Amino acid sequence: MSSAKNVGGAKKVSSPTNMNARDRARLAAEQAAARKRDRRILLTMIIAFVVIVVAGGIAFQAWRTSREPSSVSSASASASPVTITNGRPIPLGSAEAPVTITLYEDFHCPHCAEFEEQFGSTITQAQEAGTARVELYPMAFIDEGSLTAANAMACAAEAGFGQAYYLGLFANHTLQWSDPQLIDLATKVGGSPSEAFRTCVTRRAHADWVTSVNAAADTNGVDQTPTMLINGTEVDIATLTPEALQTRINNAAQK
Amino acid sequence: MSSSIDTEPRLAAAALWVSTAARLVLGGVFLVAGGLKVIDPQSSVAAVRAYRLLPTSVANLVGWGQPFAEIALGLLLLAGVATRIVAATAAVLLIVFIAAVVSAAVRGLSIDCGCFGGGGDVAPGQTTYGLEIVRDVGLLLLAGWLIWQPRSRFSLDRLTAGHVTEASR
Repeated sequence: MSSAKNVGGAKKVSSPTNMNARDRARLAAEQAAARKRDRRILLTMIIAFVVIVVAGGIAFQAWRTSREPSSVSSASASASPVTITNGRPIPLGSAEAPVTITLYEDFHCPHCAEFEEQFGSTITQAQEAGTARVELYPMAFIDEGSLTAANAMACAAEAGFGQAYYLGLFANHTLQWSDPQLIDLATKVGGSPSEAFRTCVTRRAHADWVTSVNAAADTNGVDQTPTMLINGTEVDIATLTPEALQTRINNAAQK
Repeated sequence: MSSSIDTEPRLAAAALWVSTAARLVLGGVFLVAGGLKVIDPQSSVAAVRAYRLLPTSVANLVGWGQPFAEIALGLLLLAGVATRIVAATAAVLLIVFIAAVVSAAVRGLSIDCGCFGGGGDVAPGQTTYGLEIVRDVGLLLLAGWLIWQPRSRFSLDRLTAGHVTEASR
């Protein structure tokens, strides 16, 4: 607040030498009041700006996470129901496929969503061509939604629309995965939310199974998601391209 | 409060440029950090929850709102509006971040700070608390410099004539 540091132009303009002391004092007081007012207006505007941005942001994110899931084009792989076994992954695709792609993914892990976006179609094509089948370990370490989604994934696989549901979960990964959203997703991916499926979702019928596959992942030394293995060999995802993945799948199929 | 400004004009000019750089770096970091988190509200909330400091409902609000606060502060810093006040707010935020990371380290949690998106639990031994704290302290120093020397080049403070800037001194 020391005026010695005041190097701005404001003061100089306002002190012509022909003014008497009282005028100068009054002018200075007026200017001080004007400065105070300007400062208050500026501060109010800044606070309003931040409050509007933050409140708008919260409202926007609340909408993004609680809206209805969007539909995805249905996939055909693993149209037959699968059995959920404790400690064992969900198989998606033909049991006779020569290549096994093991995936450890959390439905709320952002890198898993990126992985799906980049490599999902390559893997899905290999599944549909009967070249590869996926063994899925849905992890549940990020939040409550990871668990509800992993449970619902098992329910969907049991009901026979696991593959489509899997793609739907990742296509809508910003959702919080409440029960209504998970049930709605079944319809959106072309599955049928039968009474059994609904109950399976709302009762968390496979919660123990989710715990068991997470324990299995731990035993297998998996400490991050996504983790991918092709026929048991871990693939370095960081340096992978879709073309390289295609090549690796083809090579694995010919062995 | 030293007197670098009113003594040496060259030092004062240098301070202007240091403040300009500090403002742009701090603003850029806040903007990028907020932007990366805004993309994925779920993981942002998960990152907040991983600290195990806030009840679920509050963690939701913080996870959704904080990235936008960072973006707002980043934009204000880049524009150079009321630099001292905004820098002080950024400093308060950074102190909260540092305290949160220190508390996570002290409690023996294994988490990623989630400073630039991501976040959540990581394997023990994969934590980088030291690096995260050093980075935040570095940013805090920039904010501190701006509180001390808020005047800088290419700022709206400068455009909106001397007196508003002066008032915030």
